[in-house]
Amino acid sequence: MAQLKTVSATLKMTKGTVSLQGFALVGAKTAVRLPSDSDTTYTVKEQDISFSLEVVITGGHVYVHLPLSTLQEASASEAAVFPDMAKLFDPRTGLPAVIPTGTNPRYVSTDQIGGQSAYQVSTTYSPDQIKSLLAQLNSSGPVAARVWVGVADHQIRKAVLDGPFGDNGKEAAVEVDISGFDAPVVITSPSP
Amino acid sequence: MNRGVLLALAGAGLFIAALDAYVVVTLLPAMMGDVGLTIERLEQATPIITGFLAGYVVAMPLLGAYSDARGRIPVYVACLTAFAAGSVITATSGLWTFSGLPWMVAGRFIQGLGGGGLVPLSLALAADLYRDRARTFALGSVAALQEAGSVVGPLYGATLAAAAASLGGWRFVFWLNLPLVVLCGTGVIVAARRAPPPASVETSSVDWLSALLLGLGCGLLVLALYPDDPEHRATNALTIPSAAAAVVVLAGYAWRHVRQLEPLVPRDLLRGRTFAGVVSANLLIGAALIVTLVDVPLLGRLVFNQTQLDSGLLLTQFLIGVPLGALAGGLLAGRAGNLATAAFGLALSAIAFASMAGWQANELTLRAGPFRQADLTLALCGFGFGLVIAPLTAAVLSLTGGQSHGLATSLVVLARTMGMLAGLAALTAFGLYRFHQILGSPALNDPDLRSRVKHLERLVAAAFLQEYREIFLIAVGLCVLAAMVTAFSLAPGRRSGGT
Repeated sequence: MAQLKTVSATLKMTKGTVSLQGFALVGAKTAVRLPSDSDTTYTVKEQDISFSLEVVITGGHVYVHLPLSTLQEASASEAAVFPDMAKLFDPRTGLPAVIPTGTNPRYVSTDQIGGQSAYQVSTTYSPDQIKSLLAQLNSSGPVAARVWVGVADHQIRKAVLDGPFGDNGKEAAVEVDISGFDAPVVITSPSP
Repeated sequence: MNRGVLLALAGAGLFIAALDAYVVVTLLPAMMGDVGLTIERLEQATPIITGFLAGYVVAMPLLGAYSDARGRIPVYVACLTAFAAGSVITATSGLWTFSGLPWMVAGRFIQGLGGGGLVPLSLALAADLYRDRARTFALGSVAALQEAGSVVGPLYGATLAAAAASLGGWRFVFWLNLPLVVLCGTGVIVAARRAPPPASVETSSVDWLSALLLGLGCGLLVLALYPDDPEHRATNALTIPSAAAAVVVLAGYAWRHVRQLEPLVPRDLLRGRTFAGVVSANLLIGAALIVTLVDVPLLGRLVFNQTQLDSGLLLTQFLIGVPLGALAGGLLAGRAGNLATAAFGLALSAIAFASMAGWQANELTLRAGPFRQADLTLALCGFGFGLVIAPLTAAVLSLTGGQSHGLATSLVVLARTMGMLAGLAALTAFGLYRFHQILGSPALNDPDLRSRVKHLERLVAAAFLQEYREIFLIAVGLCVLAAMVTAFSLAPGRRSGGT
């Protein structure tokens, strides 16, 4: 994962609520071109109505695309609210660096993930380790994790995090599937 | 006594299935979210409604004949089982990665197949169990249950989902079908053992080719009207070939069906203007009726910013108006005649739709005395539709002998359901295209995301309001056209058909 140029991921909330700008996060799909570009479509919910929110980070700028409207650049304060998905795959601070540092890693099984054999490892991360992955994730306690690492390529293919990182420190769980290693990705280009 | 219990239980099963035809209207946003659809892709949710209707119209003309060969009760129970299986599939949508939108649509289609089969079976059972005037009353009661179920569905869904929010919300509506189906199915089996045997059972076989033609025709029709890219076009690239193929296939079905029906229903009836006119009028009425059943709750959610429950309750006055109108229609038709009563009813509905075409965003705050103006308008609309039921049904029944009442009524219900299916597909295509035309691509310059979302919500609400106003105007046209067709077919001296 340390040598990656592009990667894609999907994220799905499976328990609890994590809010993004006051909207409940349902899931997200992201395409990342390292070191710093990403195109992420968040699915968020207000009451029982779901809508998508696209955030494009490219060339040091953050653009937000609300459905049915045009892509617009976010102000600096607004941009800080959105997770920088490229940082999630940063070899120094992202998943490649944090995943091996979990407490009490334990081999669980060997599973098939996306047609590839992967070792399932269970471990635990501290709130600081979680925050270093994504600055917007604030956990009030240790987070249990299960991570699937490819047998052949050692790529992280899936992660399930379960702990008190939901709104107001409540329990939440998220499932992240990672794929498309060094495959072509499309990052929406903002109109000039 | 026992036959009354048997028919009541069979009618209860039919009512439960009919409830589910439009139960999803008020639940749609939540159901969409749980299968990964966002609100801006509303067109992709259309098959959740049309899937049920497609199953309904495919099964409706098929299973009456099948039950002639296999017996009413086994086929009835099989239909209930299919409905229950479809309910389980629908209720579990979105729970696993493989159970997304296609899973939900498949569940709705199977629900529709089971529910649609119950219509001719219940009518046939009523015809088996009763004779003479009692038979007409029994047939009317069964048809009324089917109508009542489909009209009450949206309110039932919203109320139940709100009451059972902690038990799965919209999913609970579908899970609840299981115990209800078990109760009805068991009751029907037990009651059938004690009831007198049917007067006659004919040998018949299933006309699978007809079912295939009808299913294919409906599928092609829905495909022709599917808005795959409503931002840029009203329908899709395959609209013309799909529509042409749908016309050919449905014409083939009609030709085959008419040929088969001729021995059962007098030849003159099927070729007469009255029957053709009533069926055509019901197609148009179905298309207009669906505007109220589907668009009013959506208007409540998207424009009036109502909760799921309140958007269902918005239909209450319409739902009260329909049975009152049906009652008044029965009384009035006996004095003023079928034509005058039906035309009056359609005129009232047209006036109500014309009034709705002028609705404002603050419509629910406008009052006329102690009532909201919108409620009065919806009550008038429902009353008008209710007025039409008795005269049109009576016109068809007067053309047939008692032995054909069930079949004739079933064909009228089929026509109305086909009208709903085509109307929903067409109005969704038109509506979403107009919505995107009206909204355009707004640039939002508000300082923060929350403000931009609120701004966008206001723009979207305004665009939806304009879109629905135009759809209500189309509904005015449908009512006027239905009145003209009714006048042409029921006018004195033009009545035709065997008796």
